[in-house]
Amino acid sequence: MNTSILLRSTLPRALAQRAVVRPAVVQARTASTNTTTYVPGGPIYKGTVNDPTDFPTPSRTHGSHHWAFERLLSAGLVPLTVAAFATSGTNYPILDGILGVSLVMHSHIGFDSCLVDYVHKRKFPILGPLSTWTLRSATVAALVGIYQFNTNDIGLTELIAKVWMA
Amino acid sequence: MQSLLAARRVPQALALSRRSFASSASRFQAEPTQKPVLLKEFKIYRWNPDEPANKPTLQSYTIDLNQTGPMILDALIKIKNEIDPTLTFRRSCREGICGSCAMNIDGQNTLACLCRIDRDTKSDSKIYPLPHMYVVKDLVPDLTLFYKQYKSIQPYLQNDNPPAQGEFLQSPEERKKLDGLYECILCACCSTSCPSYWWNQDEYLGPATLMQAYRWIADSRDGYGAERKEKLQNEMSLYRCHTIFNCSKTCPKGLNPAAAIAKIKLELAAD
Repeated sequence: MNTSILLRSTLPRALAQRAVVRPAVVQARTASTNTTTYVPGGPIYKGTVNDPTDFPTPSRTHGSHHWAFERLLSAGLVPLTVAAFATSGTNYPILDGILGVSLVMHSHIGFDSCLVDYVHKRKFPILGPLSTWTLRSATVAALVGIYQFNTNDIGLTELIAKVWMA
Repeated sequence: MQSLLAARRVPQALALSRRSFASSASRFQAEPTQKPVLLKEFKIYRWNPDEPANKPTLQSYTIDLNQTGPMILDALIKIKNEIDPTLTFRRSCREGICGSCAMNIDGQNTLACLCRIDRDTKSDSKIYPLPHMYVVKDLVPDLTLFYKQYKSIQPYLQNDNPPAQGEFLQSPEERKKLDGLYECILCACCSTSCPSYWWNQDEYLGPATLMQAYRWIADSRDGYGAERKEKLQNEMSLYRCHTIFNCSKTCPKGLNPAAAIAKIKLELAAD
């Protein structure tokens, strides 16, 4: 039993050492850190089974700051929505504008989270960035639309009030 | 040899003579009370790596619950012993402390040894391996990545300034922070019940590993809390948790990984 474990762990290493004398192209493939045998349809592990997984480079923008901003925004939307009920958009255009922008940002973060979950660029090298940029342009378009609507038309709160009463 | 036989014959003769003096003849003839036969169907996921072309199937086994122990693991062992020795599953302690027999039973990730058999024989019990894992065989999932991730959070005490003499001292309050964290047996029930872990398990650490990460962040004796937290400062490792709470719902040990993750998030935000 012990010898078989020993064999199993030393064999790939011996193979990797032998690969050094091979031509460069072959070496690049076999001398990679992946020493676990690949079964078709099976998992692909980086490194040996005893190596820990690695972490992406730390970034607070993508980490805690992003999370804190998202939470504060969500919490802030509650009083904003209540305020929109209590007041009218024509009397408080700034409040109306803030509500519009926060709603768009909130949904942008939500959709972006979906994209990171389901079409991340590490798995979808074309579709991933494509959908991210589609979302970004949609958000910008929505912001422009909100601005136009709030300055030239009745504004968001009034619109919802009108639809509600209709 | 003959003397041996003789020695064996004597107690038999004694027993016979005792029986012949018994008060009632019916006791001699009585049969032990038979429990009624309670047949229950188990449908178990089967896949054999030696025949990779064959798709996984659900194989049906029917056993008598009155001749079986109370837990799903008892049923599995009975099936393996008496019906189909090729049925493959992990088990060791049969009392919920080793975490080997984690599997998906009737749609819930749990330990087979802690899960009672539903005695309603009208419905069958379906047993699958832990969801969204590579299957080694039948009910045995490949937990390599899970263990690699556990290793990545350095689950051991790190402190550059050990006390000059004696052991690390800890107040009862500090010790209390570790309750509900250290009991985890790493059965992977929670991680494999998490949809986020299903889709992104190559990058997202999953509830079990994150709870252990917090176990070492929360430990007053550990000196590497800042480094541990810094590692999680990215989009994938921690923040793929969307507070779905499947982890806390499924934990067979009654722990709360979601709360631990929430505490990490709070500590990172306050950092």
